[in-house]
Amino acid sequence: MTPSQPVTLTINGRNVTVPAGTTIWQAARDLGIAIPVLCHSPKLAPVGVCRVCVVDVGERVLAAACVRPCQEGMKVTTESPALTGHRRTLTQLLLADYPEDSAREATTGDDELLALARSLGIRDVPYPDGAAGRPRGMDASSPVIAVDHQACILCDRCIRACDDIQHNDVIGRTGKGSAARIAFDLNTPMGQSSCVACGECMAACPTGALTDKSVAGIKITVR
Amino acid sequence: MDLLDKMTGIQEADGAVTDEALRALAKSAHVPLYRLEGLRGFYPIFRAQPGAPTQVHVCRDLACVMAGGPGFPRRVQVALAGVPGVETHEVSCLGRCDSAPACAVNGTPVSGTAQEVAAYATGRAPLPPDPPRSEPRRWTTDPYDGAAQHYGVLRAMLSGTGAGKLDLALDVLKASGLRGMGGAGFPTGQKWELTRKAPGAPKYVVCNADESEPGTFKDRMILEELPHLVIEAMVLGGWVTGAGQGIVYLRHEYGRARKALEEALDHARRTNILGPSVLGSGWGFDIRLFVSPGGYILGEETALLEALEDKRGEPRNKPPFPTQHGLWGQPTLMNNVETLAAVPIILMRGAEWWIAQGRNGAKGLKFLSVSGDVAVPGVYCVPLGTTVAELLALCGGMADGKRLYAFAPGGASSNFLPASQRDVPLDFQPLQQAGSMLGSGAVVFVAEGRDLLALGSNVLRFFRNESCGKCVPCRVGTEKASAWMERALAGNAPPGLVPRLRELGATLAQTSICGLGQIALQPLLSVVANFPAEAAKLGEPARQTPAKAPASAAGKSARRPKSKPAARPAAGKPTRGAQKVVPKTAARKAQASPKPAAKPKAGRKAAPKSRPAAKRPAKSARLVTRTARSTTPAKRK
Repeated sequence: MTPSQPVTLTINGRNVTVPAGTTIWQAARDLGIAIPVLCHSPKLAPVGVCRVCVVDVGERVLAAACVRPCQEGMKVTTESPALTGHRRTLTQLLLADYPEDSAREATTGDDELLALARSLGIRDVPYPDGAAGRPRGMDASSPVIAVDHQACILCDRCIRACDDIQHNDVIGRTGKGSAARIAFDLNTPMGQSSCVACGECMAACPTGALTDKSVAGIKITVR
Repeated sequence: MDLLDKMTGIQEADGAVTDEALRALAKSAHVPLYRLEGLRGFYPIFRAQPGAPTQVHVCRDLACVMAGGPGFPRRVQVALAGVPGVETHEVSCLGRCDSAPACAVNGTPVSGTAQEVAAYATGRAPLPPDPPRSEPRRWTTDPYDGAAQHYGVLRAMLSGTGAGKLDLALDVLKASGLRGMGGAGFPTGQKWELTRKAPGAPKYVVCNADESEPGTFKDRMILEELPHLVIEAMVLGGWVTGAGQGIVYLRHEYGRARKALEEALDHARRTNILGPSVLGSGWGFDIRLFVSPGGYILGEETALLEALEDKRGEPRNKPPFPTQHGLWGQPTLMNNVETLAAVPIILMRGAEWWIAQGRNGAKGLKFLSVSGDVAVPGVYCVPLGTTVAELLALCGGMADGKRLYAFAPGGASSNFLPASQRDVPLDFQPLQQAGSMLGSGAVVFVAEGRDLLALGSNVLRFFRNESCGKCVPCRVGTEKASAWMERALAGNAPPGLVPRLRELGATLAQTSICGLGQIALQPLLSVVANFPAEAAKLGEPARQTPAKAPASAAGKSARRPKSKPAARPAAGKPTRGAQKVVPKTAARKAQASPKPAAKPKAGRKAAPKSRPAAKRPAKSARLVTRTARSTTPAKRK
């Protein structure tokens, strides 16, 4: 695990030597190869839960590039029709439960899930719609941060931002399976929790789940 | 372990782990509230508010739905309707598929008709006694003639000079060909060697006693009747790998096994099998019994480790594997109950003897859990390589003289095979070649006349119920596939369903973190692939075999299992909204959160169900609209 022990591998046929412990995602990035991902951000420790960054390393199943360390002699393929197919399916699954009106897209316009959908050319969502009526609910209790549980893809970014970066220790996950959701303290509304409204979670969120109230709902004027 | 043990203690004492209790615990244990909420919300035994004094749990999974019919939980509920002080919950597999339909009244296993279960619950009938079996059977993997001989292998290993013996023990284990019996089939000797060679101290030995896959209950019987073999093997494992601490991770539903194990552990401590100086050798080893707060996924080895570390039991990304990076990041030897129980006899009689016990090219002996439409369900210890037909004969044939239609050879996660495959040996390779897997050795027999498509959907629903929710493909994919199948079984299959299921199944198989997601759709797809009559119900001819990729590694250890009241409503019948059988988690949530954030699930579940297929295009249209708008912001007004 020391930088003195570099490993050499190939990514899409190109040789690259990186310090041991470097993830495939990072090594590819260093080569200028972008691997799509939703749950990862370079400033956070990877968790490998969205699976959009899966790559082929010649094993029985695909590997999540964001969390898999490079190994000596590894041969990595980051693009193939099969990989694109899996990424499309994963994105469509998330879109099936995604609300029509993402607060992030409506304001700052940088909703990463929708951007991924566009880059994959997704035009349809074949899965049963789970978003109508926003059954997962919203939480407007915080004076600063708007919470839309329906737009949450459980990427864990806000949790790491809150607990690992800011050490405010407010956000976690509760529930299990498809009922899992982010929660504040003992699953209290955000505004009644120990949240100090620092905004780190909102900045880390890739979707419309956590957005700035002062911006949410305001139409951007095009000049 | 300590934190979850504390929460379990609170739950048992107060009937709930309330917000107040968690606030106090957060202060005394110095952990943030969100972590405690994460645990309370994840593990099914915890509730936020106390429930009725009598808790009736009704299994809704494979063998029980076959025995009681899909309406059985509902019938129990009806039979107990209006009875004060009684609450009924549908739960996942209770590990008593041999006495299906399995129920539990405040943890005591019961079985029978809905009326009989209701009688137990209301006290009209006395609960059946649940003592350890007084007259243990002699099993063929037990090398000892009586209690006086127990731990003889360990005594022999630790006596005199030990260095060469240690290598010898490892060589014998490797030569025996013993493989993991929890489902994944990893070579046991290799696992012991990897852990031994792994740098780092301390090391741990963990016994995975969390079997919970529908159809599987062999470990329960082994723990009840042969706990000394499990303990002896754990001590041997510690001795070989250099570990000083062992942990048994036991599912909480196994009360009788727990009692037997506790007694055997006490006895082992009294006789210096466990303790600071094992048999006076100067080397110390002890075993802690940890009772799981519930959930099939905890049988997945890394989820189990997370639970032992007082976290939500969500599987880790692998590598690294537990042999290198296990409990608290230390090298950890983890074996299934049955695997461990085989170790003493192998070390006593040698690899050759063990290999000779198998048949048809297979090595050793295998405990099989047999359930379904069979005359005498139960646990059978047979030569590995015994054919399915031979096993069926051993079990008295099919129940009521019915004809065999299908069988799942390795529990709910194994693919269903048609009766024509009945001569396949129950062994790793042959079953994989046949398109299924040995898994945990849970053979479920299905008679002609059964709706196999419904049973395949039942299995899918089990995996949806037991998904931990960590990764997208499993969390969302199992939910969407279940919603499709609910419609399909109601005669309203979406067009092109089978190809869609195959596509989704391939993504789950390739991208899920653990074996649960990887195999979740495969049993259902095997029904479509191997049974033309079932495929026809979906308007599809049977075609290619289902993806086999996950079969080789998926078994239990790769992913794993256990029982839990799902957060979603269980049986997908239209009556569901009206039914009072409350999934525990949902009930807890409803009671616990008067909070706006926790919107009731009912709406969410009902929504996809009631939405006509015609509505889907609307979403695509929305997406396209959104896309156009977003990509060309300048054109917006």
